[in-house]
Amino acid sequence: MPAVPAVLCRGVVKRFYRYEHRTRSLRELFVRAFLRRPIHVRHAEFSLAGFDLRVEPGEAVALIGSNGSGKSTALRLIAGIYVPTEGIIETRGRLTAVIELGAGLQPELTGLENVSLYAAVLGLTRRELAARLPEILEFADLGDFIREPVKYYSSGMQARLAFSVALCVRPDVLLLDEVLAVGDQDFRHRCLERLREHLRRGGALVVVSHDVETVRELCARAVWLERGRVRMEGPAREVIAAYEAEGPGR
Amino acid sequence: MIRTTGTIAAPWLEVWRARELLRSLATRNLKVKYQRSALGFLWTLLNPLLTLSVLSAVFTHVVKIKVPDYWAFLLSGYFVWNYLLQMLSTATYVLAEHAGLRRSVAFPSEVLVLSAAASRLVEFVVELALVLAVLLLLHHQALPASFALLPLLVALQILLSLGLVMPLAILSVFYNDVQHAMPVVLMVLFYASPVFYPARLVPEGVRRLYFLNPIAGLLTLYHEVLYEGRFPPAALLAGVTAASALLFFTGYAIFNRYKTVLAEIV
Repeated sequence: MPAVPAVLCRGVVKRFYRYEHRTRSLRELFVRAFLRRPIHVRHAEFSLAGFDLRVEPGEAVALIGSNGSGKSTALRLIAGIYVPTEGIIETRGRLTAVIELGAGLQPELTGLENVSLYAAVLGLTRRELAARLPEILEFADLGDFIREPVKYYSSGMQARLAFSVALCVRPDVLLLDEVLAVGDQDFRHRCLERLREHLRRGGALVVVSHDVETVRELCARAVWLERGRVRMEGPAREVIAAYEAEGPGR
Repeated sequence: MIRTTGTIAAPWLEVWRARELLRSLATRNLKVKYQRSALGFLWTLLNPLLTLSVLSAVFTHVVKIKVPDYWAFLLSGYFVWNYLLQMLSTATYVLAEHAGLRRSVAFPSEVLVLSAAASRLVEFVVELALVLAVLLLLHHQALPASFALLPLLVALQILLSLGLVMPLAILSVFYNDVQHAMPVVLMVLFYASPVFYPARLVPEGVRRLYFLNPIAGLLTLYHEVLYEGRFPPAALLAGVTAASALLFFTGYAIFNRYKTVLAEIV
């Protein structure tokens, strides 16, 4: 086992504050501040209450759990989008997170223009992009549509475009949130192939997914989150079996 | 490379790392604005030019203002005012516009503000080049040495506008009021700044108070350099420089203080 993990989370706590605003306008804010009355009431809500995760290079880990269990929060914390309330998060090397597929796409720009913008969003330099552009276009396989504005794309085509860029970044750590369900069978198949290649190359992968099939195919290990805590962790098959045994009606 | 998300790296370094994103977003702003627009940049010019013509007609023929070559006076400051006006309105929506991006990718949020400023600056530089050409041909007929100060003035303009825009952008994420208040604020600023009249017409007694508005100082500098064609008083230049730097560092500090929670607010 390598000495340094690709992703390391230790005792990560994320508390969101739900602010019950006493003020809805600046005027009220000033009046209250002047009278020294409380401006808002803070309610702490735990999204993650002590989360530990260690992912080695070349390893794929799935985060599973019901809605609101903290999976996406965990992913956003690892990606550096959220700052943890407590605990330590370390990642090694280039990190790419695909959390909302198409969130970085600009509908007014063409597919090609979006590729260069999204590549910049994900941290590719211009030179790296130039070198990988043929690969990206081949993988997206959008034909002449690549020169049309993205607003005319179907959601599947948008997903393919964004995903092609993300995969060609060749990150050391790849974070995916519910993005494998898009695209047709053929594209899904090619994506899985590409993800396996990513793992063979020593890349780490953290996937959030409800798609049990994909998780089983791709990940050796799974972490089951429940209400912000790790309920179970272990070999993917066992964890999924236990998770499914709880039944869908929960 | 080990990145510990808990620590806050020097913000400058973060921005430098995101320079490619900054460049791409600025290009995107210009592309989105000018594509499928037959007149393109003419629209960007037309609006201020029409305002300039109206102001020029009113203050030359109706309210007779004692400023020789009044049109040249207007021209030397109006595009600067226009830049500041547009940056201040941008502040109210720039962070909301890219909410999806902020929630899905980790990058320093000031890149959004900076890219808006950069694309606007490209337009301003073109406008300034045209203004210079017109002033040289029709007003000065010779190249005044004071024009050498222009790069400094543009730099001050950037600092000043970012210093105002960054805290406003943050504030408008928390309070919608900023958006509602902005038209009124801009209207007041228009009259409280020497856009269509020179600052020397402001009564002596209130001039100290008047120059507390940093925009007044900046516009007066432009008037001195472009319209009068002379070097501005050192005290004014030093004052505007100090005010712009102070505004910028305070504004950026406020932005940095609150930017970590931005992703959590949609």
